[in-house]
Amino acid sequence: MSDAPRPRVAALALAVGLVLADSSIVVLALPQIYRELDTSVAGVTWVLVSFNLVMALAAVPAAHLARRVGPGRAGAVGLAVFAGASLACGASTELATLIAARCVQALGGAVAVTAALELLPASVGSERRAVALWAAAGATGAALGPAIGGLLTELVSWQSIFLLQAPLAIAAGAPILAVARHEASTGILAAELPRTGRPHVLANLALAMVSAAIAAALFLLVLLLIEGWRLSPIGAAIVVSVMPLSALAGSRLGARVASARARAAAGAILVSGGLAGLALLPKAAVALTVPPQILVGVGLSLVLSALTETALAGRAPQAIHGGWTISARHAGVVIGLLALTPIFTSDIAQQRREAIDAGTAVVLDSRVSPLLKLDLAQRIEGRLESERGRVPTIGPAFDPLPSDPEDRAAVLELRGELQDQLDRGATHAFSPSFLLGALLGLLALAPIGLARRVEL
Amino acid sequence: MSAAADRRGLVLIAVAVAVSAALVLAYLAAGGSSYTPAKVQDPCEPRPWRNPQGIEEIAQQFSLSALDGAACELGVSRETLARALATPESRDRFTRRYGINDAQLAEAIRSGLLRAVGDAEEAGALSPLVGVPLRETLRRIPVEEAIELIQNARSLLDNVQSFLGPAQGLLEEFLP
Repeated sequence: MSDAPRPRVAALALAVGLVLADSSIVVLALPQIYRELDTSVAGVTWVLVSFNLVMALAAVPAAHLARRVGPGRAGAVGLAVFAGASLACGASTELATLIAARCVQALGGAVAVTAALELLPASVGSERRAVALWAAAGATGAALGPAIGGLLTELVSWQSIFLLQAPLAIAAGAPILAVARHEASTGILAAELPRTGRPHVLANLALAMVSAAIAAALFLLVLLLIEGWRLSPIGAAIVVSVMPLSALAGSRLGARVASARARAAAGAILVSGGLAGLALLPKAAVALTVPPQILVGVGLSLVLSALTETALAGRAPQAIHGGWTISARHAGVVIGLLALTPIFTSDIAQQRREAIDAGTAVVLDSRVSPLLKLDLAQRIEGRLESERGRVPTIGPAFDPLPSDPEDRAAVLELRGELQDQLDRGATHAFSPSFLLGALLGLLALAPIGLARRVEL
Repeated sequence: MSAAADRRGLVLIAVAVAVSAALVLAYLAAGGSSYTPAKVQDPCEPRPWRNPQGIEEIAQQFSLSALDGAACELGVSRETLARALATPESRDRFTRRYGINDAQLAEAIRSGLLRAVGDAEEAGALSPLVGVPLRETLRRIPVEEAIELIQNARSLLDNVQSFLGPAQGLLEEFLP
C-alpha cells in the first residue's frame, strides 16, 4: 500500500459499493413501493430502470469530467449529489418524484464511481490492484444490495434504504475532500490529459449481456418470492442472500484460474444454468431456489470480474475504460428489465387467470356440501377482488373453518389444493422470463469466445 | 499463458457445463416442466357424473352440469361462470366484461339446466319419467324468474333443488 491513509481506500471502496448497490438495493422494496405509491408493476420497474439508465448514459462523460476537474473534487461533489438525491428519494411521496430523484442519484453516483477508479491506483500502489479492488467493491455492493434493502424495508421502511445512504455517502466523501483540496491548490489542465484509447467492445458487450441476465435473476427471483410465494421482504432477503454468499465463494475459485476468458465463459454458463434451474422449479419451495442461486452467485463473481479485468487490461486512462464497463453493465440491466417486464407482467396475468380457474374447478368438484361450496365461492371471489390483479393469498377466504370435523377436514384439503394451483400459476408465470435471462447469459459466450481472436 | 493454466481454464468450463446440466436435468426429472396450473375442461365437452348418492349429490351434479351447459352457451369456462354467479357484483362485472345482457345470461342458464336434465338421465341418476316434466318446466320458466334464479349462486342451487322438490317423491321412487 502507498502512503495514502487506509481510511481513504476504505472510503473509496465504500463509495463504489454504495453506488453500485443502488442498482439493485431497492429490488426487495419494489412490492412495498408498488403498493404505497399505488402504481403498476411496469411503473415501479422504472425506480430501478431510471437509475441504471442514467448510470449507463452518464458513466463515460462522468469519467471525462472526473479527469478534467480532478478526481478528488469530482468524487467529493459526486458523493454530495448522491447524498442529497438519496434524501430526496427517501422523502418522495409520488412515483414521479422518486424516479426524478433516482436519476439525480445516478448522476452523482456515476461521477463518484469513475472518480474512485482514478483515485485508487495512487492509494493502493498499482493499477492492477486498484482495478481488482474497484471491481470487487462494485460486485460486493451489487450482490449485497438486495439483502440489505430487504432487511431495511422489513425492519424500518423502503424510505430508510435511501435515508441511510445519505450519511454513508457523506462518510465516504469526507476522506476524499483532502484530495479535492490538494487538487484545488495545484490545478489540473485539460490539455495535460492523454488521449483515450478505444474501449474493449467485446468485453463490454459480454458485460452488458451477462448483466441483463443477472438483473433478470435478482429482479424476478425477488418478485417470485414476495409477490408469487408471499414471503416477507426480510424472508426474501434471507433467501436471496445465497447469491452474494456464493459470489464470495466464486471469487476464491476464480483466483485459482489465470485465464480471464475461461473464467468469463464458465461464469456465463453458470449464470445461465442457474437461471434455467429457476425456470424449471419443480415445486413452489424456497429450498429449491438455493441450488440455482448458488450457480448464479458463483457465476456472476467469475464473469463480472473476468470481463472487467479484460475490458481494463492495458488500457488507459482507467477511469474512462472503467466508465465504459459501468455503462455496459447498467445498460445490460436496463435492457434486461425492459425486455423482461412486459413478458413477465403478461405471463403473470395469464397464469393468474389459469390458476384461479384451476382453483375454482377444485372447489366445484370437491366433496364439500353445496351450500358450503357456494359460501366459499363467494368468499374466494371477495379475496380475488380485494387483491386487485395480484396472485391472491387464499387462506383468509377459508376462515373461519367449519366446526363440523368432516367439513373442516374437507375444507382444509380444499384449501391446500387451491393454494397448490395458485402456487403453480405464480411459479410458472416466471419461467419464460427466467429462460430468456438464461438465453442472454448463453449469448454472452459469443463475444467472450471472440474476444481472444478479435482484439478491438 | 502456460499449458497448465489453459488446462485449469478448460476444467473450470467443463465443471460449469456439468453442474449446470445436472441441475437442469434434475429439475426436469422432478417435474419442472409440468409444474403448471391444471387445465380446466372445455364446458362443451361432456363431463361424466360421479356416482351421486342421494338427492343432495344429484342436485349438486345437476347444478354443475347446468353451469357447464350455460358456460358452453356463453363461450366461457364453467369456472368463470361459477365465479360470476357468486355475488350480484361479480355477475355485473361479468356481464359488462363479456358484453352480454341479463336475458342472454338467463337464456344460457336455461339451456344449461336443460343439458343438466339430459346429463342426469344419461348418468342414470334421473328417470325419464321425471326428466320429461322437468324439461317442460324449465322451457317455460319466465326470463324474470331465470334472472332471479341466477341473482346469486345460492339461489341457483336452491332453485335447482326446488325444481326437484315437487318430483322428490317420484325421484326417490325412480332413483336407480
